Amino acid sequence: MTLAAGIDVGTGAVKAVIFKNEDGKEEWLSRSILRIRQRDPMELARQAFDETLEDAGLKESDLDYVATTGEGEAIPFHTGHFYSMTAHARGARFLDPNARAVLDCGALHGRAIITDERGKVLNYKMTSQCASGSGQFLENIARYLGIAQDEIGKLSIEADDPEAVSSICAVLAETDVINMVSRGITSQNILKGIHLSMAGRLARLLKSIGAADSLIMMTGGLAQDIGLVEAMRESLGKLKGVEANVTSHEDSIYAGAIGAALWGTFRYDKLAASGQLLQAS
Amino acid sequence: MSSPTTTEIVARCQELYEDLHFTAARKWKEAEPGRKVIGYMPVYVPREIIHAAGMLPLGIVGGGDNLEVIHGDAYYQSYICRIPRSTIELGVTGRLDFVDGMLFPSICDVIRNLSGMWKMLFPEVYSKYFDVPQTYEDEIGGTFYTNEMAEFRKDLEEIGGRKITDEGLHKSIEVYNENRRIIRELYDQRAKTPWKVPAAEVYLVVRAGLVLPVEEHNELVLQYIEAAAKEDRPIRDNSRVVLTGLFCEQPPLNLIKSLELSGCYVVDDDLLLITRWLIGDVPTDGDPLHNLSQAFLHHSESTAAKYEPDLEEKGQFLVRAVKRTGAEGVIFASTSFCDPALLDRPMLQNVLKDAGIPFIAFKYAENSGQMQPIREQAGTFADSIKLWSAA
Repeated sequence: MTLAAGIDVGTGAVKAVIFKNEDGKEEWLSRSILRIRQRDPMELARQAFDETLEDAGLKESDLDYVATTGEGEAIPFHTGHFYSMTAHARGARFLDPNARAVLDCGALHGRAIITDERGKVLNYKMTSQCASGSGQFLENIARYLGIAQDEIGKLSIEADDPEAVSSICAVLAETDVINMVSRGITSQNILKGIHLSMAGRLARLLKSIGAADSLIMMTGGLAQDIGLVEAMRESLGKLKGVEANVTSHEDSIYAGAIGAALWGTFRYDKLAASGQLLQAS
Repeated sequence: MSSPTTTEIVARCQELYEDLHFTAARKWKEAEPGRKVIGYMPVYVPREIIHAAGMLPLGIVGGGDNLEVIHGDAYYQSYICRIPRSTIELGVTGRLDFVDGMLFPSICDVIRNLSGMWKMLFPEVYSKYFDVPQTYEDEIGGTFYTNEMAEFRKDLEEIGGRKITDEGLHKSIEVYNENRRIIRELYDQRAKTPWKVPAAEVYLVVRAGLVLPVEEHNELVLQYIEAAAKEDRPIRDNSRVVLTGLFCEQPPLNLIKSLELSGCYVVDDDLLLITRWLIGDVPTDGDPLHNLSQAFLHHSESTAAKYEPDLEEKGQFLVRAVKRTGAEGVIFASTSFCDPALLDRPMLQNVLKDAGIPFIAFKYAENSGQMQPIREQAGTFADSIKLWSAA
């Protein structure tokens, strides 16, 4: 039996999970998510980690591997760090074993990943530095419109005449939105327009790495936004010759932490098998 | 008195690293009248001759990421590396006004041109294009190099107004033999216990030797080795890598730190190669210049900057470094526009491919500020080794 924790320090939230792997059977023991909101991510990581230990009824010393991902490489008590793409690819495979493509949409960027059946990354592409494809941008727009974050998706799917938004630049897009508000466009149509604009960019990323016709699992904070998931289906459907096959999961936000923990168990077992355990645990 | 801790030693080295006015070397010069300082650039010069002349060899490796280059850009076209521009900047802003001579080893055309510029910009300063041999045969490269060093010895005798004796050279060779032994001990310590000896600390400690008198540096490195061995730092599940291609323009310190943060233990590198260029001790009897020449020709490190006529031998130094240090991969990190590193890179990569050693490659400049792409490459490389390598 191997026990591992995964801690994903994202831009918006810190996620922690603990997994048990016994004879290849993966069991999710506990989880914790803490929004950062201008607090110290390192302190939150400790807090989230302690919460998962308590929920699982474990001590820190019971764990074989503490894996970090995201911005968690400076966490002092980690055993090993996995790059966020590596972790998300594995996390997506846990959430849906049939998923062969991952769309990781976080606060600062979007990343399209194609994997093999083991969760090994085969190819990837990410959005450029521009903020208009990111959750942070969406959060800003929601604030301008006076809408709570968890209302965004619900309102977006109610749209009847989505308004096109610039997909190139966050500054231009924000100007577009101000114009729309003054023209009396409904929040539903504005939000759907933004979702379609973001989805268009992300769909092109998926197509460029040959992942658009796979089962695509959305992960990261934006995977819970049902408006964006729906817009992704529409945008991919519009790409010629591509059948939209997008899915999300209620635990998608944990994908990075799940992947880190599962790679942690994998790595621990690999080191144990090669007799190198003392060198790394 | 208690021994200094790693934190104290590294803090002092960091201070020396950040000091672009070279206060330590200035103080050394001011401490006694008539003292002289001779600057040198990468990759290699025989510092023993400068030391035997009673002078301080001062390593000048560019201005790093804390120096804004304003004048330097006017002297060079845009498609060359940054080290000559920032070195010009150091010169024209008076930061090197206490330096009595400058050596420009034959690393590439850009540095050769810099030696000419230095002659024109600072005609009162002794300036020499130090032409190390490209042919490693005794009768050709050996004779040439011995003559080159004899000429340099004569020049220093004139500048210093005193004879450089064979006995003095033997003593200087011994003290540099000691320096090389201690630094190799530090490198061995890092290869064995990389979690106790972070690459960024090793870099700072070794780099202090470019500005300190060698005797003081020997003591400092020994103190660090002792202090680091006592450190109780956690072992991480990182991938062990050899870092290569950084023998001239230096990477920003953040780049080295980023590699480690991304999950890589650097277990060997070719940074500041002058400190380890000669392998093994140089004999301290007989003709000292002949001994230095023989060491250069037959007992010196290999790098992309060193001509290797034997195609079978080309790149084997990397394979050997991987085996010696137990590394799991190689990271090629080279300065943008670096001819010696980038022209050899495909050949070296083919050697690694044949040997089944994984590698990645990226470029940097001494003032690179954006580490995200490097973290991404190094992080995914470390992951691929940890998860998918055969071991």
